Amino acid sequence: MNRQVLIKAENLTFKYGTEPPVLRNISLEIARGECVAVIGQNGAGKTTLAKHFNGMLKPVSGKVYVGGRDTERLKVSVLARTVGYVFQNPDHQIFHDTVGKEVAFGLKNFDLPGKVIEERVTAALETVGLTAHHATYPFNLSKGQRQRVALASVLAMQTEVIVLDEPTTGQDYRESMQIMNLVKKLNQNGHTVIFITHDMALVAEFAQRAIVLCNGEILADGGVRSIFSRPELLKETFLKPPQITALAQSLNRYAIPPDVLKVKEMYELLKARGEEIGCFS
Amino acid sequence: MAALVEYIHEDSPVHRLNALTKIFWALFTLGFGLLFNDYRYLLALLASVLLVAASARVLQSLLPVISGLTVFAMILFLIQALFYNQGQVLFYLIPGVDRVPVTVQGLLSGLAMAARMMTIILSFLVFLTATRTQDIVLTLVEKFKIPYDYAFMFLTALRFIPSFLNEVKMVSDAQQARGHSIGGINPFKKIKSYAPVTIPLVLLSINKAENIAMAMETRGYCGGNRTCLRDTRMGRTDYLLTAALILLLASSATARAAGYGVM
Ligand SMILES: Nc1ncnc2c1ncn2[C@@H]1O[C@H](COP(=O)(O)OP(=O)(O)O)[C@@H](O)[C@H]1O
Ligand SMILES: [Mg+2]
Repeated sequence: MNRQVLIKAENLTFKYGTEPPVLRNISLEIARGECVAVIGQNGAGKTTLAKHFNGMLKPVSGKVYVGGRDTERLKVSVLARTVGYVFQNPDHQIFHDTVGKEVAFGLKNFDLPGKVIEERVTAALETVGLTAHHATYPFNLSKGQRQRVALASVLAMQTEVIVLDEPTTGQDYRESMQIMNLVKKLNQNGHTVIFITHDMALVAEFAQRAIVLCNGEILADGGVRSIFSRPELLKETFLKPPQITALAQSLNRYAIPPDVLKVKEMYELLKARGEEIGCFS
Repeated sequence: MAALVEYIHEDSPVHRLNALTKIFWALFTLGFGLLFNDYRYLLALLASVLLVAASARVLQSLLPVISGLTVFAMILFLIQALFYNQGQVLFYLIPGVDRVPVTVQGLLSGLAMAARMMTIILSFLVFLTATRTQDIVLTLVEKFKIPYDYAFMFLTALRFIPSFLNEVKMVSDAQQARGHSIGGINPFKKIKSYAPVTIPLVLLSINKAENIAMAMETRGYCGGNRTCLRDTRMGRTDYLLTAALILLLASSATARAAGYGVM
């Protein structure tokens, strides 16, 4: 298996102005095809870290490489061809009078031919479930829908890497699931996905790997299963494992493993255990 | 930038002065600064402003601004030094052909202009950082008879400069992340390329203004007569200081008329 590193940070340290560093000595590698969740309490530095992945912020010391290129001298608008970034607030980017034009904006910046743009816009709107709103004035949509317009505008660019900063904040449960299923589909289609979230259930359900940030440092980096089975570590950055994992951990003395991630998994385990001790017969 | 116009809470003699006294002080500093153009006078004035900042204990917080201003001051100084070509020539920038003379007077007048610029800006910053916002509003309304709505509007606008600057950055980042780049040589194209940044900014600002208006109304804000809980009376120190300032300004105007402090 050839693991191809797309994003690499080496001893990345960053500070805003003269304030104390917000990120300290971050080293990490993200390979093609991964689906990584970045978690940590508010102010831990998640957004600041993510903004280094498309060159919006440059390290004060240390290096960040995207596709093997040092981001130091690269413009954001150039890196945009490799890394798409979905902002938390869609109103920072929407400025066209129709949803369709808004989604096409990034593609026009890449000087793609009209026909390709047309096709990609249609496809992206379909993916986010906004086909019917192609000609709608974006500000007549709900905030959740506008967020999906912003998402579509990044999806349409078909970048290798997609970074999503809290894509489900402010969405209801159904909308969150829609967005995350979409993220999953993107990942299955070969895109590398990095998402920031506060919802541990989403991490358990959708990510393979989690990077835990605490006060600007990496507290843990590894498989989601192994990270959630260490609640004492999560506590340090005021996180809790998903409820189902917490339940499994409290049932440890009944031989339930501490790294259960999904309700369905728990159900199967309990059923098997029940049959084993013969309480279903 | 964020600390530029924000009140910094301290318990200093300067903070305890009446807002009106501090407004007078800032205006008089402006007056002194414009009266004289001798670099010694202006440097002394700058030192006095820094002294006031130090006794208000805001010097530390203003340091980033001061270092920013110093850069501007240097540019001003250089421009003045290069383009002022009367008086005693010190040396030529292009030596062989005796072009671009740098004169003693040029250097001194550059120094004076730089000091003047810093003094005037800093005195207003010290005033803003050492005076509670409510007190400024009250003084504007009670002493200067400005309608409350306008005073309030002015201060809200001031208050929103830092968050607006922050938004400019966010919006331009968001558009660059979609491959947008500002620039080009063609001026029309350049102007057009600002649209993706300015339109969201305008929309955000309108939206924010509407929200603030609504939030204020739901909390009972309305125009009309107001009474104030806080007292804006001047104390003895305030009267003494104001009198001293007036005296000082009058005597400097006389001195200036007699030919002191000009080069
Ligand atoms: N533009 C900025 N200027 C100064 N400080 C900032 C700025 N953005 C974020 N910070 C500070 O950096 C720290 C990390 O912020 P951020 O990366 O947004 O955290 P998170 O996304 O994990 O909530 C916080 O302490 C925040 O106050
Ligand atoms: Mg954040």
